[in-house]
Amino acid sequence: MKADVLIVGGGIQGCATAYHLARKGASVIVVEKDYSGRHASGVNAGGVRLLGRDMAELPLSKASMELWQTLDEELGHDTGFRRQTLINIAADEVDLATLRAREIKMHDAGFTHERIIDRDELRDRLPYVSSNCVGGVISDLDGYAIPYKATSAFRLAAERMGAQVIESEEVLSLRRVGDTWLAQGSQRRYEAETVVNCAGAWADRIALMIGDNVPLSHAAPMLMITARMPHFAKPVVGAVSRQLSFKQFENGTVLIGGGAKGFADRANNRTRLDYAKLAAACRTTAEFFPIMCKASINRMWAGLEAYMPDNLPVIGPAVNAPRAFHAFGFSAHGFQMGPVVGQVLADLVIGGQCRFNLSPFRIDRFDRKVL
Amino acid sequence: MFRSLQDDDRDLVTLNVNGQMVTARKGQSVWSAMAVAGQVETRKAALSGEARSAYCAMGVCFECMVNIDGLPNQQACLRRVADGMKVLTQDISEDTEADDAGL
Amino acid sequence: MQAFDCAIVGAGPAGMSAAIELAQAGADVVVLDRADRAGGQIYRSAADSPLPDAASLGPDYAAGADLISRFEDSGAKHLAGADAWHLGDDGRILFSYQGETRELHSREMLLCPGAMERPMPIPGWTLPGVMTAGAAQVMLKSDAVVADGAVFAGSGPLLYLIVAQYLRLGVPVAALVETTPRQHYLDAAPLMPRALRQLGQLRKGLSLLREIRASGVSIYRHAENLEVLGDENAKGLRFVASGKQYEVAADTVFLHHGVQPNLNMTRAMGLAHHWNSAQMCWQVTVDAFGESSVAHVSVAGDGAGIVGADGACAAGRVAAQNISHRLGRISRAERDNKTKSDLAYLSALKPFRRFIDCLYRPTDALSSPRQANTLVCRCEEQSMGDLRTGFEQGARDPNALKSLTRCGMGPCQGRQCGHLVTGLLAQWREESPEAVGYYRLRSPQRLLTLDELGRYETVTAEAAE
Repeated sequence: MKADVLIVGGGIQGCATAYHLARKGASVIVVEKDYSGRHASGVNAGGVRLLGRDMAELPLSKASMELWQTLDEELGHDTGFRRQTLINIAADEVDLATLRAREIKMHDAGFTHERIIDRDELRDRLPYVSSNCVGGVISDLDGYAIPYKATSAFRLAAERMGAQVIESEEVLSLRRVGDTWLAQGSQRRYEAETVVNCAGAWADRIALMIGDNVPLSHAAPMLMITARMPHFAKPVVGAVSRQLSFKQFENGTVLIGGGAKGFADRANNRTRLDYAKLAAACRTTAEFFPIMCKASINRMWAGLEAYMPDNLPVIGPAVNAPRAFHAFGFSAHGFQMGPVVGQVLADLVIGGQCRFNLSPFRIDRFDRKVL
Repeated sequence: MFRSLQDDDRDLVTLNVNGQMVTARKGQSVWSAMAVAGQVETRKAALSGEARSAYCAMGVCFECMVNIDGLPNQQACLRRVADGMKVLTQDISEDTEADDAGL
Repeated sequence: MQAFDCAIVGAGPAGMSAAIELAQAGADVVVLDRADRAGGQIYRSAADSPLPDAASLGPDYAAGADLISRFEDSGAKHLAGADAWHLGDDGRILFSYQGETRELHSREMLLCPGAMERPMPIPGWTLPGVMTAGAAQVMLKSDAVVADGAVFAGSGPLLYLIVAQYLRLGVPVAALVETTPRQHYLDAAPLMPRALRQLGQLRKGLSLLREIRASGVSIYRHAENLEVLGDENAKGLRFVASGKQYEVAADTVFLHHGVQPNLNMTRAMGLAHHWNSAQMCWQVTVDAFGESSVAHVSVAGDGAGIVGADGACAAGRVAAQNISHRLGRISRAERDNKTKSDLAYLSALKPFRRFIDCLYRPTDALSSPRQANTLVCRCEEQSMGDLRTGFEQGARDPNALKSLTRCGMGPCQGRQCGHLVTGLLAQWREESPEAVGYYRLRSPQRLLTLDELGRYETVTAEAAE
């Protein structure tokens, strides 16, 4: 099969890239080794947040946040996005001091979307929070989406624009002959002028086929979700210095994250859970929100996520081959960036440049560093 | 109509099901005590609000989830009755707000 | 950390039989079971029936009492009320016991998860008053509770058994609506001669049917187009039999069309499974001795493919001897010797099973919804039409469909909708159930309170004491 662009990986980055490329008239094939949204894009916590992001990511993340607000209409499908605000709770004065220090840095850089709130406003917005908490920081544009639905919405929109998504198709080899990329998949062969690597936790393998080395690792952040319970928290909740993270969806279920990691068994396409760590996450959740003692956990899982040493993604052109681009290594916070990453890659593929400074995301940024 | 075939009145306990005082035998499942008392509605479906009741009575369908002594999502077919137990039909929908801030 | 030679999960016929053998061989064996009393579903309360006249349940049930007492005297440690919620292929088991999560380790694991009834998604199957025939059995056996004037609908031995039991106890039955199609009798006829080797079993079945017929209860045969009537509660059953439409009034409708392995335990462990096309269900893949794809994890009884209570006992004993051998307690030759007669019995059961499986195989009409608005997923209220829309949006895999529609995400964790979804996707994709697959399941195998998990610390094995 032939196309202008071959995208490896049917997650949100790959599908968003396919959508924007197809919209600009390129012929696009997405190959996905499992099914679209099978891994990190489909099973993450769905956080759509600006709050607490690394300064280097903020321009991209802010642009993406604008896109999220009207994404359902643009794609013509439900992404499950809800703007609910996000609050990181300050448990004590030390946390508040941390927040104030960040506020100064943020204001100096011209960012004003984070706002510190006091004890009363915290209680006002989260009536069930433990009375020990002293305040927090809030971001109004933030919220959540349903990961699989959002990924699927991009895929469907891309397909409507003419892109093809081929599932159960693993790229076994990739080589450049003359001006063409030749890819051997588990089912078929592909030819394309340009290749885009959005292969998530497997992206280092694709990068290697392209010719780029990258210090990518992978891990299995764990999540738990409860059976429905009466609504007690509208905003998405995090904490400044503790592993607390949860959101209550409209249907009443509560998704608990917090970043605790299980065991990533990439070779077997699966993950294992660490119950002692999940137990600790339960204790933290109940400490901040005693009402959660009544919750019943219904399911627990972990997805395979790709991490870079500095927790920043790789976004940009390959360094050792022409007409190849990367977008991976989002280090468990790439879901929110999907919409803008799709735009950026489409701009790079078609016009060779984009409106953002991508130097913090270069794939060779660790080449001279000893890790 | 459900009824019990036991005719003696040994080992009885009293529980409160949706405000109705119900007598049951020690060791009996909460579900069968509810059934004999004519209180077959265990929960409201979360989306449609339709009444639901036990389907399998052996713990695999989760239709009989009730609120027992303030704790939601309890399978009535697996829980045993106890004297003074308070059982409520579970009603948690998209609009249900928590009301026990004092917990 | 408490460690055992063998942990058996489930104290039904297979688990109890295996425990007796292993304890006899001197192995340190623990049996975890959710219920307060051993027996499983089939021998539930067999040793301490609340019924004034338990003999009316029949001699097979009474035989359970003997097995239970041999099990209780075997020396195997029985943890009653221990609800396993995580079984690791590393030999670790996490279970709830008296409100706390406890942990134990074992060299060998024998899973005996048993069977559950095949969901029967006819229109109205979610109305209060609609239950399974197994539910009627459970309520009768453990709590001596019955429903007067109920309709029993479907097919299969378990359905006839409960109707006969009701009649013996003098409980009025509104009707038996039998759904076995004429064609099934024709298909099964050639299998009959070989099934005759299990004459006793066949006779039992026939005498149940005779008993029901003799009672004068209304029996409708070859019924189809079943539909439960009622808006808020079941009011009756409508169906077509011999070309004529009937409505039988009843506020309780008991449904049944066969049983299937309880999959959640074996699936959540990641054991290999395959599609059993004769029984039209998934089952865990095991060898003749019950060893699964993970060598130190064995599975026995109906949970490894429906064999019935006697078959489960034999399979439990066979698995136990093999585990004894794996533990180094007996030689291979001893194992082979000790399992010979049970293996021969299990193999002799096969022609009978094939006959029963063929005669009572689930019809498409009963195992797959006929109407777009019939719910497939009871927990998340997803109808067949909703799933079709999801499928058309590209969710071709059961897990993708689950992610998109929430079908299978509720508290039952796919126990009710899982087989239906495999079946529907196979039909829509025009592929085999095997190609379609099943949900990826995980621990916990049932709801676990956050409070309980929060109190779990890694080393808590005093549990067992």
